[in-house]
Amino acid sequence: MKPEPSTFHSRPDGRRRIERATTWIFRAATYLVLLAGGAVLLTIAVKGSRTLFQSEAPFINWSFLTEAPESLYIFEWEGRTLEMGDREFRAFKERNPAAANVEAESYVYSAGGIFPAIAGTLLLVLGSMTIALAVGVSAAVYLNEYARDGRGIRFIRLAILNLAGVPSIVFGLFGFGLFVIFLGWNVSLLAGWFTLAFMVLPVVITASEEALKAVPLGFREGSLALGATKWQTIRRNVLPYALPGILTSSVLGIARVAGETAPIMFTAAYVVRDQLPWQVERLGDFFFQGVMALPYHIYVVSSKIPQNAHTERVQYGTALVFLLLVATIAGTSILLRQHLRKRHSW
Amino acid sequence: MIPPTVAAPPRFTVSRRRLRLLGLTADDGIRWFFGGNALIAVIVLTLITLFLFREGAGFFGQNRSNLEIYRRAGLEYVDFIRAQTDDHTALTRYLSDLRVRWMTWLLEQERHSLEEANARLEDFDRFADRFAGAVDPLRELMSGLADHASGIKAKYQLTQDRRVEQAQLAAAGRTAEAAGIEISAIDFERELEPLRESLPTYRQLSRDLAGELTALLAEAPAPPTPALRQRMDRFAELTREYVAGFPAVEHRLETWDSAQPVPAHRAFTSFLFGRQWLTASSWQDWYGIVPLFVGSLLVAALALLLAVPLGVGAAIYVSQLASSREQRLIKPCIEFISAIPSVVLGFFGIVILGETLRQLSQVSWLSWLPGFPYSERLNILTAGSLLALVAVPTIFTLAEDALNNVPRGFKEASLALGASQLQTVLKIIVPASLSGIVSAVLLGFGRVIGETMIVLLCAGNRIEIPDFTRGVAVVTEPVHTMTGIIAQEMGEVVRDSIHYRALFMVGLVLFLLALVINYAAQKIMRRYRLSTG
Repeated sequence: MKPEPSTFHSRPDGRRRIERATTWIFRAATYLVLLAGGAVLLTIAVKGSRTLFQSEAPFINWSFLTEAPESLYIFEWEGRTLEMGDREFRAFKERNPAAANVEAESYVYSAGGIFPAIAGTLLLVLGSMTIALAVGVSAAVYLNEYARDGRGIRFIRLAILNLAGVPSIVFGLFGFGLFVIFLGWNVSLLAGWFTLAFMVLPVVITASEEALKAVPLGFREGSLALGATKWQTIRRNVLPYALPGILTSSVLGIARVAGETAPIMFTAAYVVRDQLPWQVERLGDFFFQGVMALPYHIYVVSSKIPQNAHTERVQYGTALVFLLLVATIAGTSILLRQHLRKRHSW
Repeated sequence: MIPPTVAAPPRFTVSRRRLRLLGLTADDGIRWFFGGNALIAVIVLTLITLFLFREGAGFFGQNRSNLEIYRRAGLEYVDFIRAQTDDHTALTRYLSDLRVRWMTWLLEQERHSLEEANARLEDFDRFADRFAGAVDPLRELMSGLADHASGIKAKYQLTQDRRVEQAQLAAAGRTAEAAGIEISAIDFERELEPLRESLPTYRQLSRDLAGELTALLAEAPAPPTPALRQRMDRFAELTREYVAGFPAVEHRLETWDSAQPVPAHRAFTSFLFGRQWLTASSWQDWYGIVPLFVGSLLVAALALLLAVPLGVGAAIYVSQLASSREQRLIKPCIEFISAIPSVVLGFFGIVILGETLRQLSQVSWLSWLPGFPYSERLNILTAGSLLALVAVPTIFTLAEDALNNVPRGFKEASLALGASQLQTVLKIIVPASLSGIVSAVLLGFGRVIGETMIVLLCAGNRIEIPDFTRGVAVVTEPVHTMTGIIAQEMGEVVRDSIHYRALFMVGLVLFLLALVINYAAQKIMRRYRLSTG
């Protein structure tokens, strides 16, 4: 007996082919994005590693990480081309009086290292994240634990949403107008801290709120039922469990604070500064000094000096160090989260 | 009767009295503290508005006096004539373009040597020289008048400076010194006399020019090919139009009145619709936002054109089509791309992408693409491609959220009815989450238009409205942007100067634009959300 033909036809082949092709188009779009991002990172990693690493003993070029930027001098001497940093060049001239009038090409910031910029960026991130976390977590606690939905709260939420969309350069202008000029702080760490803190505030608030929401309601109810006050409940039974989430999501904020250039251009960053941030006479001066910062330094070395083989070293090196720094900060927070998650799990 | 006993308080009541400060318990205090922090977002937003207005508001007053002195010192008068000579320059440029084409034709089609070709073009060159030289007397007159007008303006500025100095001295209590400063009021009418007296000379020169150009047209050499002939005809037509405009210029000069006040709204419109942003110029500063706005918009549009298909496509793929292992791999990677600081991308654009794209444009088999080949390394294309990389993660994350929020039932119902996976995705899930995707694109747009470092480093920073007549090829032109101009010029301007205030006004425009985009995104999100009840 012949088997009866099935009433369900399999799909015609042509259509299936179209379907597969379409899926491939979507897949291609996805991988194209990854490829583009990867290309950028890889180029900088490869070219920057020539500056940052070396083939000899310590393998890491410490002088690049621990010295201040200097001008680079390139000159012909006894048939050879020599490259020297500012200090070295001066010492060389003293040793060889004949070199006093040698003609040298010079490029600013292309020798030495970037230590002051690293220190400045770390200080900026530390200060602004402290402010942003303090304000942001408090705000999130209020919005999630205390507030009842009403017109006022909706208005606050709207403000937070809108604040998140404000361009970073506008924050820079605002910080310049308010902190630098109106409050008279000049170009200073403090002005940079507040400008950056306000910029990431929406990120921190939203992230903290998500984390607080993730804490089960039972934790609060149990605590309240046992006679704890609201504050005791929040402090003992909500915040500790929300902390990992808050830290994770503030990673996003940290990356943004470390990476933004526009807000600190006129509020905190100096093109070059000889003293390190902690070389101040009085403690008060510490807060009112401008600092060098990595993103601004990248901007300066990529736009104010010509691109050639001599300046490439510092350009790629700075970019790589900057990327690594951002990645390290992010990585630390992720590790911290895992650590905390192990301690508090439900 | 039993005497009423005082009931002992039940043992479980709280006996400790709560500490109150100003009528608030500690818990109330904590509550208010948190509430205060929540208000900071509102306060910051208010402060931003306030300070942008505070620093920017003075702009209109200053711009008005800027425009006023432009008129009163006669600069406006001179610019009428200047416009006329500039138009003539544009015509000569058209001619030299024609010569280049003709030359190419001679060299490539006719295989002439360079000398022969030059000899063939001798007639044309003579014609072009005479055409270019015809305007010289008028230009000479104009530059003389320009010097004079500049002089009046300088004199006026000097008296203004002295006035400020006097006011400062008087404020410091040094009245004697203040009185010692001589300030001579400028009699603009008298100063402008040479300008007015030049009118008959102008009339004569203008008429001469009109006559000469018309006469020249009659003996224009005829190009050999139809295409070139067409250009020559077009040139003749343009020249005739140009000459026909002379009486209008003359009329404008005749009726020009230096004392006529500049209306207040001009200070506003010249900012919002001004087509020139020209600062620190020895002649006249203009603060028109249009070139910057157009630049920002073009760069953002190109970025979105690249980022929307990629971002939305990737979101659809990751949320609907990819295996869960692929998902776990791709999502963090794209998030990591969003963490690349924009200044690093800008740096990449300067050192790698700009040059790569330019070399790509010079590859011969790609020369059919509009605008290729080009020579400017930093332009809309470079900046736009990098900005796309900024916009993709934003669009991807939000669009993916929207796609994931479509109720499972939709998908299941569609599959149960026999639709294929792709049909389900494209006809059910994507339409259902369309509002979310659109608002994702809008927020991506907001992100791109507010981005500073990439455009500052890679957009080329030429403050001019790009030449839209080139069609799509416009993307190979350098532009300047609103964010870029603030970042570039803010560090160099004098505080409270008109330039300083103008930059704050640009910031205000950016701020308002960001608010509008945000508002629209939220509105779309709420309004067109599919009811899933």
